[in-house]
Amino acid sequence: MSENKKIEIMWKILIFCLFFTVINSAEVVNKNVINRKVVRSIDLNSQLVKISGTITLENAGKEAVGNYLIGFERDLQGSIAYITVQDSLKTPLKAGRVAVVGAGTTEVFYNVQLKSNVEPGKTATILYEVVLTKALPPYPSSITQKEKQLVRYFGNHYFYSPYYTEYQKTDVLVSSRAVETYSKLKPVSQTDSTISYGPYEKVPAYSIDHMTIHYENNAPFLTVTRLERTIEVSHWGNIAIEEAIEIKHTGAKLKGPFSRYDYQRDTSSNHHSIKSYKTVLPALAHSIYYRDMNGNISTSSVKPKKDYIELELRPRFPLFGGWQSSYILGYSVPSYPYLFRKSNGEFVLNVRLLDHVFDDMAVEELETNIVLPVGVSNIKVKTPYEVKRLPDGVAYKYLDNIGRTVIRASKSNLVEQHIQDIEITYGWPSHMLLHEPVLVSIALFLTFIIVIIYVRLDFSIRKPEHAKKD
Amino acid sequence: MLGLNKKGVQVSFQGIKKQETLLTISILALAAVLSFATRLFSVLRFESVIHEFDPYFNYRTTKYLAENGFYAFHNWFDDRAWYPLGRIIGGTIYPGLMLTSVFLFRLGQLLHIDIDIRNVCVFLAPLFSSFTTLITYLLTKEIFDKGAGLTAAAFVAIVPGYISRSVAGSYDNEGIAIFCMLLTYYAWIKAVKTGTVRWGALSALAYFYMVSSWGGYVFLINLIPLHVLTLMITGRFSHRIYIAYSTLYCLGTILSMQISFVGFQPVQSSEHMLALGVFGLCQICAFVDYVRSKMSSADFQALLSFALSTVGAIIGVGLIILALSGKIAPWTGRFYALLDPSYAKNHIPIIASVSEHQPTAWSSFFFDLHLLAMLLPAGLYLCFKDPSDAKFFLALYGATAVYFAGVMVRLMLVLAPAACALSGAGLSRLLSKFLTPAVQTQRQKKSAPPAPTRGPVALSFAVLSIALLSAYTFHCTWVTSEAYSSPSIVLSARAHDGSRIIFDDFREAYGWLRSNTPPDARIMSWWDYGYQITAMANRTVLVDNNTWNNTHISRVGQAMASGEEKALEIMRELDVDYVLVIFGGLTGYSSDDINKFLWMVRIGGSTEKGKHIHESDYYSPSGEFRVDKEGAPALLNCLMYKMCYYRFGKVHTEGGRPQGWDRVRGAEIGNKDFELDVLEEAYTTEHWLVRIYKVKDLPNRGSL
Repeated sequence: MSENKKIEIMWKILIFCLFFTVINSAEVVNKNVINRKVVRSIDLNSQLVKISGTITLENAGKEAVGNYLIGFERDLQGSIAYITVQDSLKTPLKAGRVAVVGAGTTEVFYNVQLKSNVEPGKTATILYEVVLTKALPPYPSSITQKEKQLVRYFGNHYFYSPYYTEYQKTDVLVSSRAVETYSKLKPVSQTDSTISYGPYEKVPAYSIDHMTIHYENNAPFLTVTRLERTIEVSHWGNIAIEEAIEIKHTGAKLKGPFSRYDYQRDTSSNHHSIKSYKTVLPALAHSIYYRDMNGNISTSSVKPKKDYIELELRPRFPLFGGWQSSYILGYSVPSYPYLFRKSNGEFVLNVRLLDHVFDDMAVEELETNIVLPVGVSNIKVKTPYEVKRLPDGVAYKYLDNIGRTVIRASKSNLVEQHIQDIEITYGWPSHMLLHEPVLVSIALFLTFIIVIIYVRLDFSIRKPEHAKKD
Repeated sequence: MLGLNKKGVQVSFQGIKKQETLLTISILALAAVLSFATRLFSVLRFESVIHEFDPYFNYRTTKYLAENGFYAFHNWFDDRAWYPLGRIIGGTIYPGLMLTSVFLFRLGQLLHIDIDIRNVCVFLAPLFSSFTTLITYLLTKEIFDKGAGLTAAAFVAIVPGYISRSVAGSYDNEGIAIFCMLLTYYAWIKAVKTGTVRWGALSALAYFYMVSSWGGYVFLINLIPLHVLTLMITGRFSHRIYIAYSTLYCLGTILSMQISFVGFQPVQSSEHMLALGVFGLCQICAFVDYVRSKMSSADFQALLSFALSTVGAIIGVGLIILALSGKIAPWTGRFYALLDPSYAKNHIPIIASVSEHQPTAWSSFFFDLHLLAMLLPAGLYLCFKDPSDAKFFLALYGATAVYFAGVMVRLMLVLAPAACALSGAGLSRLLSKFLTPAVQTQRQKKSAPPAPTRGPVALSFAVLSIALLSAYTFHCTWVTSEAYSSPSIVLSARAHDGSRIIFDDFREAYGWLRSNTPPDARIMSWWDYGYQITAMANRTVLVDNNTWNNTHISRVGQAMASGEEKALEIMRELDVDYVLVIFGGLTGYSSDDINKFLWMVRIGGSTEKGKHIHESDYYSPSGEFRVDKEGAPALLNCLMYKMCYYRFGKVHTEGGRPQGWDRVRGAEIGNKDFELDVLEEAYTTEHWLVRIYKVKDLPNRGSL
């Protein structure tokens, strides 16, 4: 055997191995699964597109089926911020993103692990919910102050699926009856603010038929372009939370002048500009502040409700399309509902990775910094969903001579469903609580001692006058 | 028995001394704390925020210094101001204020005291007024006695004339400069008293700090030579004073020239000539004294008359040559205004347009000094009754400060500490005359009841002075609270139902500019708002409160005073993107741009390019400035008028008044329905206080 041949064989083996791994990681569509019935509802009331559906699947094959693929077509508008899948008993199911054999790379598929295998001939029901951001481009893209804001939704009349679908129906909920146009794939009907498509029967796999809905949407198109959340834990019983928020009106841009006169005369609440919005804070929040680079923003009101605090925030100026603003919101909460001590002496901190900014929010970039107390060790972090851990930082607060560890995490494209707790476990010696008071006491004590020595003792070389007299 | 008795007295004497120290320390500590606390009204009522206009510039530069370090700060060329000229910040400011705050900020950081640079800036002036309280005590104690010092310290803690410039948030040069000035005076008095180089050098250092922090150092460098001159004339010149002054002048001048804004002024400008002249005179006097001690009287006389005539002629010719060749800087306008209050008004409209450069009204002496205005002459009397070198100094300081305070409102600040020191001495003397404390020994305490003071007269005087002092305290607190504690960036008013309304329109507008205009947008506004726009909106402005270029300001004034077409020409020439005006017609805010408009006309018309603008065109036929139908057509059609009143004609402002009722001028506007051709409304704040317009692009060419 010559050298050349050896290399050739080795190459072949290598390519085979590579091919094998690709096959292995990509999911193969099980042709035996069919969608018996799919009922979808697409909610277009807010700036987000919320699609929820109930899928009744059937195993028409011979072998038990343990997974199911949910797919999104190639030219999907917007980006998927959140997906959750449940079974009929509302227990959440695992869904991970996968590639699928026979489909391109631009389609997105989620592989749902069913709770129990579906035996041949049996059916199962799963519920899914998807939230899309940036899926409603305004059209026209810029409007004057008096005009209404119209947006377009581009979707698919059919439920996009790698499986054959027997029966399907879609309801589209729009915020008003003012629908300019909508695509009509019969049978279709419009009642009040609902457009019903279907039922469509016997739809082959991977079917696409473009759906377009052009309608009026005056919900606030407000995007948090960047949110920096800092949580500072003190074992004296306080957790201080500060959020630096940059917001932008991402609806139709304002064309032409802004007239304060017209704005003040227009009292209708249904306007595309954003005057104020409501933030929900924990019920125990206190010492709330709302400011920006130039100081306090004096337009906000706090309303304590039964189990939360409602904070009505008014930006310094009303936000029109394309306008942006930024502010800092901070408050303190007592630590007892969030900080616990385990039996082995470790501490567990459960705080929200992201908190509510306004209803139907969309957050582009989140960075959460958690400042732990001085002297922590053995830190374990458990996040509710996948986040990017940034390298830990060190922060120096009041009179710190040893720095505090800062846990940093970031994630992009978040929605309300991402308001979940992050769990941090750490060891911390209790005597560190007295670290700073002791330091201050020692410093003061030394100062007094020095003053006493200076006052009491005579440092002059010459003897004082009265001593001579004696 | 005798020894025992003596010991008892000694013990009690020591006890009294201890008590005295304790009393002194506690009185001083209380005064210092009070002076800090009384300046916090605005922080408590509003928030920890920088006030007014100039402080915003200082704050911005301080932040720059804190972020970029000293060398970047020193070489800073600011392209955000004076578009298209820019401004060399490092060479055109007194950096003492910024360096002080950054020093404190860094010190805090070093000790891990987590304090924001903004808070350092806000609380710097109150902190330094605490220091001022202490230094006033030291100064007055050095000149008079301890009692006078304590009274003066108590006075200066709450004197409104000083509070007006040093409330929390009023982050301006004067905040630290008064402390520096008094520190220099204290070191100078010490130097005069001891005649040591050490105190002379210390006073030079204090003087250096003063020069680095405020342009008012010119007052100081004229006052000290004046003191020396007075001592010479009164025959009190001695070696002590020679040493003190020579050290101070040589070191101080060299040090002051290190500040790049001061540069060679100390040896060139006429404002510093008195110091130089007196320095020369000192040398001559000392030389003459030396020669006299070595010569016979007749020889000396002959030599003296010869020397006087020759040297005098040489100096005279030299001065004339230098003045003609321009080496000696001409007298600047501000200085002329000090000597002749009507000078500025007649010659430089920009100087005259600033309210704090106006001559002081009599009432404001009482308003700012209250009781001190009455006690000051008593202190002056004491200075002459039992004269000493130091007392001459205080008398001179008091007298010149009274004069300058009368010329310019803002120099009341310089008078305030002098008035406090003099009044402190006066009151303390009066009190000690009437209420001599009996020295209580232990024996007396046991045997006899405490000796009564001098009967009903003393009692009534005590009651009277307590009443007067309480009146002073109440007055000071009231003035501080009512007149000097409004941040002017946030306005507040009472609604009909008594609740407080806050007008936060300035920050609303600046916030809008910061967030929603291109980062390189150029904003045209009247110069008053320049510093605030660069600091809060971070945008480029054409003119700002550093009014160094009269023609540039005049150009802006011309744009505001011209009709739309002409204004567009000027705005395109200056690359203006946005125009910002302040309009108070809806809320009744009286210091708005329409009320400042005549100054724009005057300043606009004061240069070559603005010759077509005549103030008389903006008055109605009866010679009044009015915005209603009777108003002059030039006014009703100028850019400023149109920008302020655009679409205002439809607004109801007050019940029972027609639409378009201007609440400041109390008139229905004369030009209601008009459209803007070259501008479009970009933003107007909630209460219409700030209106921002965008300069429209040139229209497209019509279809061919």
